[in-house]
Amino acid sequence: MISRGTVAIVMLMATAAGHPVLGQDTHVLVITGLGGDPEFREKFSEWGGTLVEAAGEKFAIPVENIIYLSEDPATDPRIQGRSTRENVAEAFTTLASNSRPGDYIFVVLIGHGSYTNEESRFNLPGPDLTAKDFGLHLDQLSERRVAFANLASASGEFVKALSGAGRAIVTATRTGRERNETVFGGYFIDALSGETADLDKDGRVSLWEAFEFARTEVTREYATSNRIATEHAVLDDNGDGEGSTELVDAADGALARTMYLAADPAAARATDDPELIALYEQKADVERRIEELRELRGLIEQDRYDSDLEELLIELALTNRAIQGQEVER
Amino acid sequence: MTLGFLLCAFATLSLSTGAAAQTLDEAISELRAGTYEAAIEALGEISRSDPGPDLSGDDRRRAYVAYLSALAEVGRYEDALEAVNQAPPAIVTELANTAGKILYELGQIDRAREQFLRAVQGGAVDRNSARLNLAIIEWRYGDRDDAFAAFDSFIDLYNGSTPLSSTDLTAVATAVQYLGIREHELFQDALRAYDEAVAADPGSLEPRVLIGELFLDKYNGPEADAALREVLERNPNHPRALLGLARAMKFNGTVGVMDQVEAALEQNENLTTARVFKARLHLEVENHDDARTELERALEVNPVSLEALSVLAASHYLRGENGEYRRIRDQVTALSPTYAELFNDVADLSVQSRKYVEAARLAEEAIAVDSLSWRAYGILGMNQLRLGLIEEGRANLETAFEGDPYSVWFYNTLDLLDTFEYYDVDDEDPRFLFVVHERESALLQPYIEQIAEEAFEALVERYGGYEPPLPIRIEVYPNHADFSVRTVGLAGMGALGVTFGSLLAMDSPAARPRGDFNWASVLWHELAHVFHLGLTGHEVPRWFSEGLAVHEQRQAREGWGHQADPGFLSRYREGLLLPVSKLNEGFVQPSYPEQVIDSYLQASLVFDFIESRWGLQAIRDMLRGYRDGRATPELMESLLRISMDNLDQDFDEYFQQRFAGPLKALEPPVSSPGIPQSPRTIEDWTRVVRENPDNFPARLALGIMLFQEDRFEEAEEHFRAALRLFPEYGGMDSPYWFLAQIHQQRGETERAAAALARLTALNESHYEAFLQLADLRTELGDAAGAAEAMDAAVLIYPYEVDLHDRLAQAHDARGDAVGAVRERRAILALEPADLAGAYYNLALAYVTAGDPAQARRSVLRALEIAPNFAAALDLLLDLRSGASPPRPDRQRSPVDIRPR
Repeated sequence: MISRGTVAIVMLMATAAGHPVLGQDTHVLVITGLGGDPEFREKFSEWGGTLVEAAGEKFAIPVENIIYLSEDPATDPRIQGRSTRENVAEAFTTLASNSRPGDYIFVVLIGHGSYTNEESRFNLPGPDLTAKDFGLHLDQLSERRVAFANLASASGEFVKALSGAGRAIVTATRTGRERNETVFGGYFIDALSGETADLDKDGRVSLWEAFEFARTEVTREYATSNRIATEHAVLDDNGDGEGSTELVDAADGALARTMYLAADPAAARATDDPELIALYEQKADVERRIEELRELRGLIEQDRYDSDLEELLIELALTNRAIQGQEVER
Repeated sequence: MTLGFLLCAFATLSLSTGAAAQTLDEAISELRAGTYEAAIEALGEISRSDPGPDLSGDDRRRAYVAYLSALAEVGRYEDALEAVNQAPPAIVTELANTAGKILYELGQIDRAREQFLRAVQGGAVDRNSARLNLAIIEWRYGDRDDAFAAFDSFIDLYNGSTPLSSTDLTAVATAVQYLGIREHELFQDALRAYDEAVAADPGSLEPRVLIGELFLDKYNGPEADAALREVLERNPNHPRALLGLARAMKFNGTVGVMDQVEAALEQNENLTTARVFKARLHLEVENHDDARTELERALEVNPVSLEALSVLAASHYLRGENGEYRRIRDQVTALSPTYAELFNDVADLSVQSRKYVEAARLAEEAIAVDSLSWRAYGILGMNQLRLGLIEEGRANLETAFEGDPYSVWFYNTLDLLDTFEYYDVDDEDPRFLFVVHERESALLQPYIEQIAEEAFEALVERYGGYEPPLPIRIEVYPNHADFSVRTVGLAGMGALGVTFGSLLAMDSPAARPRGDFNWASVLWHELAHVFHLGLTGHEVPRWFSEGLAVHEQRQAREGWGHQADPGFLSRYREGLLLPVSKLNEGFVQPSYPEQVIDSYLQASLVFDFIESRWGLQAIRDMLRGYRDGRATPELMESLLRISMDNLDQDFDEYFQQRFAGPLKALEPPVSSPGIPQSPRTIEDWTRVVRENPDNFPARLALGIMLFQEDRFEEAEEHFRAALRLFPEYGGMDSPYWFLAQIHQQRGETERAAAALARLTALNESHYEAFLQLADLRTELGDAAGAAEAMDAAVLIYPYEVDLHDRLAQAHDARGDAVGAVRERRAILALEPADLAGAYYNLALAYVTAGDPAQARRSVLRALEIAPNFAAALDLLLDLRSGASPPRPDRQRSPVDIRPR
């Protein structure tokens, strides 16, 4: 027999398929590498700080679930250590021991990369780490869902090396030969830590949305400055080792759509109120019918499509209002 | 085609290997190096010597041929014929081909034919060359089929087992080039044979010159240029190479073409082809008198030159002297019934005068006399495209291309036509046909329509209610090379827009770097041309139309159109600017790199002057006068009561008065001990300014250096001084720009805004200045002023989401709902990542504009992407209930972050 509380949880999983269920945690590891000159050091530090701040304060990820390594720990009290090869290895070990299967782990590399002798590296103080090195570290995180973003130049080869089940790999470049400094990272960090990239207006920014937003803006930046694009970010999350640039109708993107730094607001609304449960079910039903209708776009006459869509959306709006009303009563 | 040249065998002389002929070898080397005088003297002496132990009979033959060649190359044709007459009878047959060539140059075709026959029948060393020359005469004046049969025999010669000399290989190449008219694949064989001719005698220049001319025929300017420069490296005085290079320069838009032709004529004043080319240059600037003088000189040398007669016919045609045109046309067709180049040349020159209908008709006449004239099909097709007859133009260009696929001109244009399927065509407004690339039509077209409508109405009013033939087709190209090909068939043209009548083509703002130009100003300029061409029946001179179009830009918006800068005024001071009476040359045959731009500005100032003194009606009357076929001097005399000389003088006085201050401030600084010649540091410039306090460049330079070191107080003093000296200067480094930055540093927002307002009233494309001005006005609470500045920025570069978002907000703030909708639609056209947000904001704008139906559609699109978009759902409920929705918060700008 299933208790009423359990019913509510099951329903939430159904309505927010793929979102973290209660009990799943999110962990963040941010590594800023060698800056080289002061301009880059400052920029990388700002990007890292922005992400760590958002993770802790905005998305309320427990401080013990956030690890921040940087070239110069003196620049920010949140930095837990220098981003050396050894400390990075230790950080992954900590992640492995602190997390559980099913948890979400975000690893973000900010800095410079290089590609020589067909090997991609991320530049750290002291010896660099190669894509293969990171592969070994990630192997400790099996059964977790890992978002790994390398925002450095020449990062494209990381996709092949790290691609695997349960992993979403984002790189700022398509190949190791795109060696120029990238602008993707700035847009990506801002998208992931802000609201601007909430493209589906569900109140959260998924990895998919952050990638799509940043990619679009990178394209626009190069176009508006009349420069030839020297970076083409890719995302791979189906484990085939081939990244996608355009995510709409792409082979990749399914996992990235389910990965958020922000907690699922629905999880906070777990309830045993039967009226509310009924409303949630009603909402899920309308959403499903909207999805079915969208499949018909272009196949039925536009006016009819719009009219049907409007009816469903009105139903959804009223349902949402009812849910809000009921939640307020609670 | 320039296949009228007979094969010139005399420069392909093999050098002697005998020690006895060392002097002869040296003389031939001098001929090949272009030291003609020395070569002629030495060769003359050798050829008059009797054969003996030091000079074999063959050496003497070679000396004679070289001697005649040298004389002919510098145009001493009569001397050369006299030398033939003096030649010993034993070698006369060997000289016959060379003599025939000279007679041909003099237009004595029958005598030339006799000489060629003599060389062939007498078995002269250069008999193959003579045989080719006979075929060329047949091709031009006789039976084309017989000529082609003769050309065809050269393939057998090539394929035979006898090793061929460089001269023979050159003959083969030329024959194959003619055969290529029927079978285009043979052009490649012609090139190969020319290359083999070069290899057989690397010192011979003739095949190299012919390669250059072949490339010119194929509209391949860069290759022609390279080939001819190679010749000139070996012989810098080679008249035909000098002329060929002039043609290539013309083709490639290089300045100094006329000087280059003069260089050719300096070497050979009787080179009729150079005279004809020079005459064409004169005709391009409507200088018929000088053109005819050149043609007369050409016809004195060769009274039956088909090229000279054709261009003379063109001059009469363009002047409307139809009787004389027909007389010369009939003379040419009597001489050569299949000579299509007559019509092609007249058509080409008609295009220069913007007579596209006539050009197309003439090309049809060319095709009627020679169905193998691929050039005629090309001219016909290109001009049909200019007239908006796209499918007809394409069909004729395809015919041209099938016949001559090596023509870069045909290839480029057909390639461009293949992209036309990616252009959206909008014919909703009966006055216009907008053709905009699908990639940017949603974004650009609303703005283009708005400017086009405004310009059309303003110009109708300016020109007394006149309306040009409608619809006006407006083509906008996101790729500059495509625009260039659309205009001239080739990439690399520098212009931003072009008008062919009721069809104009222009660069879209995407075609150039941001801030490079103001596309709306260019569109206004081109639409002004539409009116000028329509009003005059395409009879308006280039300088008049260009100057008046810039003048119209100035009437449209403050700051639009070319503005004077120190460079322009300095060139005036140096005497480089042309008088009004010669301004056309500044557009068509610039003699210094900035001359075209200078001429635009200068011509526009002429119209500032004319309108201020005689009023707009005088300009309208002049346009009508051009339509009636009257010339500029006559119109000036009859309508303005001023001679061209006096106009030149009065305009000069106006110019000096208008720019009196800046001209004085641009005088070279006084040099005195202690003042560095090339000041570099602040200290250097301070000394220059101390001695020259009224020198604009010194004040500006010092101001900028101080500004760069954050010494704003000191910098301001010099910028203000610079402004007093040249207040109209609105360049990118205008003192206004720097003063605005200084005021902003000090928090003097109003003063900063005032400086930028002045700057943007002088510079139509200073994008950054417009954006800063908008920011400052927003800060000052001037929403209308901010919107005005941002509206102007969109006319420079409309591709930034953030600009449209800010502008939409500004329009919203001042209650301009229509403006807000336009900007929200522009954001959508830019395909932002946050499409749902963009649709939602558009829906809100529609609500404000009182258009609930469009608001519903937009909010549905937003919710289709993001079904749980709470604000959008609320808006939909409000729209559904029919209630006036409250003004919900607008979504944040889709792009309001920048990478750090």
